Amino acid sequence: MKTGIRQTRSIGGNIVVYLVLILFGAFFAFPLVFAINNAFKPLNEIFLFPPRLFVQQPTMDNFYDLFTIMSRSRITFSRYIFNTVFITAAGTFAHIIVASMGAYVVSKYKFPGSRLFFKVVIITLLFSPHVTAIPNFLIMNRLTWVDTYLAVIVPAIAMPIGFFLLKQFMDTVPMTLIEAAKIDGAKELSIFWRIVMPTIKPAWLTVMVFSVQNLWNARATNFIFSEELKTLPYALGQIIGGGVQRAGVGAAVTMFIMIVPLVVFISAQSNIIETMANSGIKE
Amino acid sequence: MAELINEKKQKKRNFLAQKYHDFTFATKNAIAGYLFISPFILGFLVFMFLPILESLRMVFSSVVPDLEQSRYVMTFTGLENLHRVFFDDPEFTRLLTEELLKMAFNVPATIVFAFFVALIINQKFKGRSIVRSVFFLPVILSAGVMLGLETSSGLLSEYRDLIQESNALSTGITGVLEELLLSGGMMDEFLFYVLHIVNQIYNIALVSGMQIIIFLSGLQTISPSMFEASKIEGATAWESFWKITFPMISSLILVNVVYSVIDYFVSSDNSVMLKVTTEISRMDYGFSSAMAWAYFLIVISLVGVIAGIISKRVYYYE
Repeated sequence: MKTGIRQTRSIGGNIVVYLVLILFGAFFAFPLVFAINNAFKPLNEIFLFPPRLFVQQPTMDNFYDLFTIMSRSRITFSRYIFNTVFITAAGTFAHIIVASMGAYVVSKYKFPGSRLFFKVVIITLLFSPHVTAIPNFLIMNRLTWVDTYLAVIVPAIAMPIGFFLLKQFMDTVPMTLIEAAKIDGAKELSIFWRIVMPTIKPAWLTVMVFSVQNLWNARATNFIFSEELKTLPYALGQIIGGGVQRAGVGAAVTMFIMIVPLVVFISAQSNIIETMANSGIKE
Repeated sequence: MAELINEKKQKKRNFLAQKYHDFTFATKNAIAGYLFISPFILGFLVFMFLPILESLRMVFSSVVPDLEQSRYVMTFTGLENLHRVFFDDPEFTRLLTEELLKMAFNVPATIVFAFFVALIINQKFKGRSIVRSVFFLPVILSAGVMLGLETSSGLLSEYRDLIQESNALSTGITGVLEELLLSGGMMDEFLFYVLHIVNQIYNIALVSGMQIIIFLSGLQTISPSMFEASKIEGATAWESFWKITFPMISSLILVNVVYSVIDYFVSSDNSVMLKVTTEISRMDYGFSSAMAWAYFLIVISLVGVIAGIISKRVYYYE
């Protein structure tokens, strides 16, 4: 037997790891730091060239301006917030359930047609939403879903990217786990709920982060026309549309919109880390 | 009377149960499978598949929108739209080759970068969860920040132009190194590739957030007992990386390659997609659909070839 295998990294190795992390971390964090700082900059600092990363005279003016504009809008602002929160929550929840159920059987049951279906899903991943925008509108029209929440929520449920990711993760769940449950007398649904879903928790948390980010930023200008159903990003976009004098408010808006997906991710990611270690995938 | 009906119902139920019981294991599996997947298939067919078929029909038609009744009139024109795309349009073929070349540069770099970062942040060190959050930031931020940037006047685009101008003067970070190596007669294709990556590192970092997360969750599915066993058998960290980590994660490399290619091709700053959207906004639906489909067919055959090559080398853990 070989000896002298190090159990822990050397100090030098640690330094290298931290250096690399700091370097790349600075890259990644830059847009966030810039956006947050911008939100607190007075107007003259926003227009400073060359731009400064950090704010010099922090001010809350941008936020005050934002709230004054909000309070003057015809529809109460809480309505826009409700619209987006509702669309995001309902769409994400339904997407995870429906896509996981589909991904589970495609991965583990291999019924006739499942492979073909999966291939079709992969192919449709390549279509930009722009391409299908017009036919999609006509279908919504025929379903009389135009100008309802459904037009935004239901297509998000059938998003192929989530299905694709979930299916790939389902493949890593050992079949023995499911067979064992079956032998113990578990029904299909309880296998799905009590064994498969907890096991792939990191996967659906990833999909959740993805779906929240997608729906939270949905402007839905194609399908929603009544003012009281419009989404938050759309309303905020209108505020920024005021021109150069709204640049400060725009910075505040940007920060405002960023926060929710960020919080969702930060709370989900600690779970992503913890679950897999004791998820029962041990041979 | 009611009893009789109940009895009948009971019988029917018994009969169905008996029938279900008589099915083979495979049939039962198939029934459960279809039941589980039907909601997704339904949504998928109506909101993805039908629109795509409709746009395929547009490829071979001239489309005249009828805004009054919110529908359009299609007349069959055969291959005319496709002919326009490849032979009449001055930009399409040039943009297409440019984008394909750029992709050939960026996708491998993205995968290697994401894998590298995922490996590092999967290690145990202090402040790990903060670091992980930081590395996923671009994915979270892209849409939100972009919304702000796009709409907040021309200010930022002016910044961008100015920065680009000053970059053009100093020819990027690696300009000096490039000259040095060129004069030393050392410049070959590979070196050029590496230098290109270094110049592109920020863009690559920004698009690799999702890939990092996929790799990271994959790394966490590897059971620690495997590493323990290999350590007891006397494997070094280097050996256990190539013999355990790499094979276990190889299926996710395929996922990530497909994901990166797709992400790259449908991103809105891709110049072919940009052209398609401008044609759509000019209401030239037949032409834009033909362009999108031509583009799509080229990409899908590429993905097919890449996936075919990689999936032969992928190891599936059973």
